Amino acid sequence: MTNVAVRCHSIRLVVVTLCILLCAGCSVRRVVFNEVVTSEQVNFIRIGQTTMLELAEHIGAPDEVTESEFGVVALYNWGDTKSAALDFGALARLVLPYAPTMTLNKTGITPEQFQVVFDPQWTVRAYGFSRRTTDEPVVWFWPF
Amino acid sequence: MLFSKPLAGIIIVLALVLTQGCVVTRGTIGEPLQEEAISAIKKGTTTMAEVVSLIGAPDRIVRGNDREIFHYYYYDGKSPAMLLLLLNFIRMDIKSDNLYVFFNRNGIAEEVVYGKRTGRTQFRLWPFGD
Repeated sequence: MTNVAVRCHSIRLVVVTLCILLCAGCSVRRVVFNEVVTSEQVNFIRIGQTTMLELAEHIGAPDEVTESEFGVVALYNWGDTKSAALDFGALARLVLPYAPTMTLNKTGITPEQFQVVFDPQWTVRAYGFSRRTTDEPVVWFWPF
Repeated sequence: MLFSKPLAGIIIVLALVLTQGCVVTRGTIGEPLQEEAISAIKKGTTTMAEVVSLIGAPDRIVRGNDREIFHYYYYDGKSPAMLLLLLNFIRMDIKSDNLYVFFNRNGIAEEVVYGKRTGRTQFRLWPFGD
């Protein structure tokens, strides 16, 4: 074998080993609930004019309707839960009959809500989003 | 013979290798809402009892603006997963259908609000992106 061929073989081995090490014990979970309601989608709402039917035509039926002391409230819920884990013990599974667990895990549950309050004539009295979270990366296992 | 023994063996091993660690899960809550039954509700004429006979008893009864509101819902979740020796990907997509029937003080249907999202629920494995 020439020197070049030996070097190529070694590089390939290093790359494959690195890939295995990077993916070893990596676990990515994601749960998406309903579709996001954006502020652009609700731009059409006019206080005192838009009715519940018009709202449903634009963004669908709410997930919940409830009564508050300010009037009937329609709630739209959605969420994007991301969880990632890195199990350093996973590599041992390749060579040992027993795999020790050494895991770092982070889960971010972000329930979000769009709330619309109606007056007794079923027109919008007020509306707003719940506390919006910034987009977190899907893979982020560091829990500290 | 259609396949020789070695070829059949290779196909079986390939199929096992390609599908090992694959998990497909589906979960639902409630019954799908029948659109024919929903369209049979006529505003101003259909009574509360007729709505119940068409669609069934509501999942929730809400009172709002001095009126009764029937709420029917259906949830559909699809979750594919790939559980390999060193790498796991799990994704779940859940969507809901909601139907509200608003009744006036005489128990007659006044308004029907229906939204269907479950038709867009997908088996998506890749957890990255939108």
